Amino acid sequence: MFLNSLVQKAQSFIDPALTPITSSHDKRPSKAILFRYQFRLPDSENPLHEITAELTIPLPYKSSAGQGGPKSDGQIQGNIYAGKLHLSEQYLCFTTLNTSFHTNSTFQASTAFTGQTHGTGPAGNGFTLPLCAVRKVERLPTHNALCALAITTWNGTASAKSSTAHYDMQRFTLQLAGSRQACDTFCDGLKKGLRNGVKQLDNLRTIAGQCYSEYLLSGGPVKSKDGEGGEIIREAPEAGLGMVFRYPGDPRKLRDRSKMRLWGEYFRDNGRNAMLLRQPTFHKLIRVGLPNRLRGEIWEITAGSFWLRLQNPNLYTQILSKFTGRESLAIDEIEKDLNRSLPEYPGFQSEEGIGRLRRVLTAYSWVNEEVGYCQAMNIVVAALLIYTSEAQAFSLLSVLCDRLLPGYYSQTMYGTILDQRVFESLVEKTMPILWEHLIKSDVQLSVVSLPWFLSLYINSMPLVFAFRVLDVFFLEGPKVLFQIGLAILRINGEELLDINDDGTFISILKTYFSKLDESAHPKSENEKLRSITRFQELMVVAFKEFSQITQGMISEQRAKHKNDVLDNIENFAKRTSIRNLGPESKRLSADDLGRLYDRFYEVLYEQERDLQLHRIEIQKMAGPRTPDPVQNSVEMGRVGMGPSPETMNYDGFRILLASIAKWAVADAPRTPFDISFEKDGRLAPNATPRHPEFPTSPLRGKRIEPADHDFMQRLYGYWNKDDKDGLSLQNVVAGIAGIKGARDVMETIAYFFALYDDNKDGKVDREGILRMSEALLFLSRRGLEGNFTLIGSSPNGMDESINGSDQITISGSTLNEKFLSSVSAFIRRCFEYADPDNPHSGQQNDISTDLGQFSIGEDEDDLLDLSPNEEKDIQETPTKTTPKSPFLPQTPQTPSKQSANLALDPANPLHITLPTFRMVILADELLQQFFEFSFAESLHITPQVPGRTSSFPLQTPTLTTFSSLNTPRIFAPSTPTIPNLHNTDHQSSIVPVKGIRGLLDNIVSDGMRVAAEVRKRMDEAQKDLDRSATGRTDDEYDDEDEDQDARLQGFFARVPSQNSNNNNNNIDTEKRIGVSDHDRDLLDGAEVGSIKEHDGGILVERGPNSAVAALDLLSSSSSDNGGDGAQRRDLGGVEKMFES
Amino acid sequence: MSDSNASVPKPSSSVKLVLLGEAAVGKSSLVLRFVNNDFQENKEPTIGAAFLTQKCQLPTRTIKFEIWDTAGQERFASLAPMYYRNAQSALVVYDLTKPSSLTKAKHWVAELQRQASPGIVIALVGNKLDLCTATGEHDAAEAENSETATEEPQEGDARKITTKEAKDYAEEEGLLFFETSAKDGTGVQEVFNAIANAIPETQLKGSRPAGATGQAGQTRDEGRVNLNANAGAGGPKDGCAC
Repeated sequence: MFLNSLVQKAQSFIDPALTPITSSHDKRPSKAILFRYQFRLPDSENPLHEITAELTIPLPYKSSAGQGGPKSDGQIQGNIYAGKLHLSEQYLCFTTLNTSFHTNSTFQASTAFTGQTHGTGPAGNGFTLPLCAVRKVERLPTHNALCALAITTWNGTASAKSSTAHYDMQRFTLQLAGSRQACDTFCDGLKKGLRNGVKQLDNLRTIAGQCYSEYLLSGGPVKSKDGEGGEIIREAPEAGLGMVFRYPGDPRKLRDRSKMRLWGEYFRDNGRNAMLLRQPTFHKLIRVGLPNRLRGEIWEITAGSFWLRLQNPNLYTQILSKFTGRESLAIDEIEKDLNRSLPEYPGFQSEEGIGRLRRVLTAYSWVNEEVGYCQAMNIVVAALLIYTSEAQAFSLLSVLCDRLLPGYYSQTMYGTILDQRVFESLVEKTMPILWEHLIKSDVQLSVVSLPWFLSLYINSMPLVFAFRVLDVFFLEGPKVLFQIGLAILRINGEELLDINDDGTFISILKTYFSKLDESAHPKSENEKLRSITRFQELMVVAFKEFSQITQGMISEQRAKHKNDVLDNIENFAKRTSIRNLGPESKRLSADDLGRLYDRFYEVLYEQERDLQLHRIEIQKMAGPRTPDPVQNSVEMGRVGMGPSPETMNYDGFRILLASIAKWAVADAPRTPFDISFEKDGRLAPNATPRHPEFPTSPLRGKRIEPADHDFMQRLYGYWNKDDKDGLSLQNVVAGIAGIKGARDVMETIAYFFALYDDNKDGKVDREGILRMSEALLFLSRRGLEGNFTLIGSSPNGMDESINGSDQITISGSTLNEKFLSSVSAFIRRCFEYADPDNPHSGQQNDISTDLGQFSIGEDEDDLLDLSPNEEKDIQETPTKTTPKSPFLPQTPQTPSKQSANLALDPANPLHITLPTFRMVILADELLQQFFEFSFAESLHITPQVPGRTSSFPLQTPTLTTFSSLNTPRIFAPSTPTIPNLHNTDHQSSIVPVKGIRGLLDNIVSDGMRVAAEVRKRMDEAQKDLDRSATGRTDDEYDDEDEDQDARLQGFFARVPSQNSNNNNNNIDTEKRIGVSDHDRDLLDGAEVGSIKEHDGGILVERGPNSAVAALDLLSSSSSDNGGDGAQRRDLGGVEKMFES
Repeated sequence: MSDSNASVPKPSSSVKLVLLGEAAVGKSSLVLRFVNNDFQENKEPTIGAAFLTQKCQLPTRTIKFEIWDTAGQERFASLAPMYYRNAQSALVVYDLTKPSSLTKAKHWVAELQRQASPGIVIALVGNKLDLCTATGEHDAAEAENSETATEEPQEGDARKITTKEAKDYAEEEGLLFFETSAKDGTGVQEVFNAIANAIPETQLKGSRPAGATGQAGQTRDEGRVNLNANAGAGGPKDGCAC
């Protein structure tokens, strides 16, 4: 299955912490990503400088001493932490924990994880300080370090300026340890950052003003705030619905007041909101549960969503106003769930609460359409909204979906399923006996645990406890969910070992959750032990006993299981998708559908990946300081990853076709295809870019270059029934089913006709006819598929049989040559039987007459010409053969010519209808067979089985064709059928042909050029029609032209009129021939004369290629020749072509 | 709970039943009606799946349904295999007033027939009958008169899917078929009774208690049950005392 190969490419997509951004072969996460994850910084941040440093946080009430100025000679008192100092564009970060990357790693390459957080949370002591929050940096004179910086933040500014200053400016020192140069570099970087940081100061003021901590420290409802703005009355900043509808739980029982006091103290000593320093107390305070009013703010700071708001404080309101009124499926889904999100909480029984929930969910669905809305998000957001404002909840939700719960709420929910697998494997690892029991009793763990993870325990545990879990989760990351889950199982382990079915399993846990507030040891003698609640026990077990569960372990497990999970999802998606492809799909086999599905998504996936690589490439070129690509988009492409493109653009369509049909493969890898394609504007601006520096992906190298042809464009347009940006799988399947699943030849013919019936009026005009013939050549240029049965004759066979010999075989003719003949006959017949848009019956007759003339008499010559063995003969001595034919050489300038060329006369537009087209196709044995099976067989969805033959090559035609009427069919049984030689029919095996392969290639490519030329000349003919009538002089002739004309005539003259038989009007045709023989002779004579004169030359150089190969000169000359004469000359050629 | 065998004289066996269907067609409401004989306008959406049990008394035996009520949102579909795994019966629910829901139901039927345990008893249930003015019988009769199954519904009737259309499909696929209203309770009990009766005895012998699932799994391989015999809107009405 193709997905297996893609799996390699999809490495690390699952875990954003592991997302590769450099290239597909570097699977390790970049340093930049680890850095951002470690400090929960926005995607715009990159680690620029880092240095070992020592952080000294002054002890409480000591900092005032330093207010006067720098402390002398490093005698700084306070808590000292050794760690690493990092500088990014807008942040200064410090942590005592090992960073999750090596210092000396290059900018984008990554290294192994180290450290407890593994890049997913601001653990350890230190700070994450936006540079705009730095008020002042002083360089201190020290003796024990090369460089010491004293950093003063804006914290405390307000009160310092006000008369009622209770506390002082936040100030701490950093001693850099490194070479003088390293320190200077760092300081320079810092200076630069600080200068830029000033821009964000306003944002910081705005956001900090919304923080409850600010309000808390400024002392209460009435307080002077802004030194310049004067005294203002402050209202408590919004801290969620809880402020109106009360917070869940009993505040006294939760000891909310004392928690608040502790936090107040902490803020005073360590700064608040953006300027918060992390000391050990910080982690402890979070573990015991956040006070209600500070909960939202601390969540924001620890999860990093605060920095998102700092970047753009008004993002949420902007989104709401920008998208107002936009409808989507997600909104309908959201609407269904609004009334059923935490319905027991009073806030969500009110319009106010429901309105907030609606706005946050819809805003997010607008911004992240790939995720849209997933049930469970309503519960999570509802829970957040109890403690946060809408804007806070919105940015928290973004962080949740993008980073903390990767893929949880995606279209396929692969993240959820994957983490279930990871959870199961962790259970197996840590509690093998329980795991074994669950397996034995056929209990599926994830049926229970999935909702835990998906809704962050919010609808499993009583709310008060779920929020305690959330408190730690936002700080420490996803591992918390696993730790809690494992602890739940561990605590209930004994009971769970007795269960035999899902039902009891679920009920045991339900009971457990409902008793979380009860004593864990109700019967204990020890009062202290008795006072421990089950929830406390749970927390202790989770974070002590399962402390070995690290983010690194989870990442590792995710990487291990993701292929399985994605495969499962993809199999499911495939199954479902194929089943729902609509009635058309029934015409294809299940195998074909499966492969088509694979191919379709394979192409989309590769395009998406190329696009990604391209973006990265561009970024690389733009310089190292540009932000890394948005990580979400890296995940696109694989079906199992969820939001992947569903439609295929023309480019992808070509690649898809090239993989199933050899005619869709380009003759030579030519980039112009891509260029021309981009020109025609079919591509969306973000479609697959082509670029000289575009990195060659491993697959791309192997990939066959798809052709670009009018036929393919038409096919694309025809398949694209919905007129959307691209083809859906259903479009592709329906399109292919129309060809491969056609019931009979008539249907295929109609299908083909429809491709060219541009305005759906049932008519194909002159241009269309030419394009059809081009397409036929295009389709056959790599050989025809299927076993063609030739009834002893080429298209000329009819005439042979008329002459009385059924079984005359055409010596040495290959199938392809004959097909070429058929195509030229096709053009001729089309024009012959075309209906004029303005009927002029007389002229019509003339044409028919002229055309008809060629059907008789010269077949033998032409057949000889066609035989490769005699190629040389024709080419070197075209005049030898042509004079024999009385009609062939002609001068286009005679007056009679004009009427003969009615087909070319733009003043007489003509068209063919489906019945005419059908008739013309059925009149030709090869074309008929082409439409009967060859076209369908040219699509190899399922890899070709050697020796596989057409399913109905010998099917007796139920349709009346000339062959069935007049000639007994020679069925294959009489002749040995050679399987796999699609380029030759069985006759070619009888007559061995030297160098047939090269010959055919030439025939094919030249034939196509002929068709192109024909069209070109048509245009010229229209322009120069008047002048051509005036005649031309021999002086203007050149050798090439002569030869070409002769060739053309030779080529097209070989094709006799067969359809006349088919239509029972052969007598009529013959009559007409009789009428105009005369004129024809005249024309031919003149032409032959000129050819004779200018015979030889270039054709010889051309060598012993097929007769058709020579035609290719036509195109080269037409481009060489300018001037009226040449054009007129060209016109003549074309005219003759159509006469023949 | 699991040892209900002991308290009930009749042989008791567990049957795993899974509910599938488009979002908001009333899967959870059907279960709530069946289990608690209750109806709620605003139920929390099912995250993943909800698990409930209810017993159904047949004359000769007691069937304990272990009901897995799955989330209906499209993206949860890929989780469904987890829930229908080993299910002996399934309720595929659609909304009589929403044509798209029948399409989705057909997808589920196809999925179950190919992927679930062989011999799974599937019931197709059109819910929200209370929104339809015409009774099922009347509609069916009408549908039979006018040969087309997709005829226009009567005026003022929210019904978009005729009884005949769904019934024909159900018969074709060998499904039990019912039209119900979880809101007023119409037909709900009948659905579960019919399923209980349709579960072949062979499957019940190795019923779930005490790790007998392995056997049950084997017996399930005995082939698809022909439901055409007892399919139909009526179903066996007798025999259920709960």
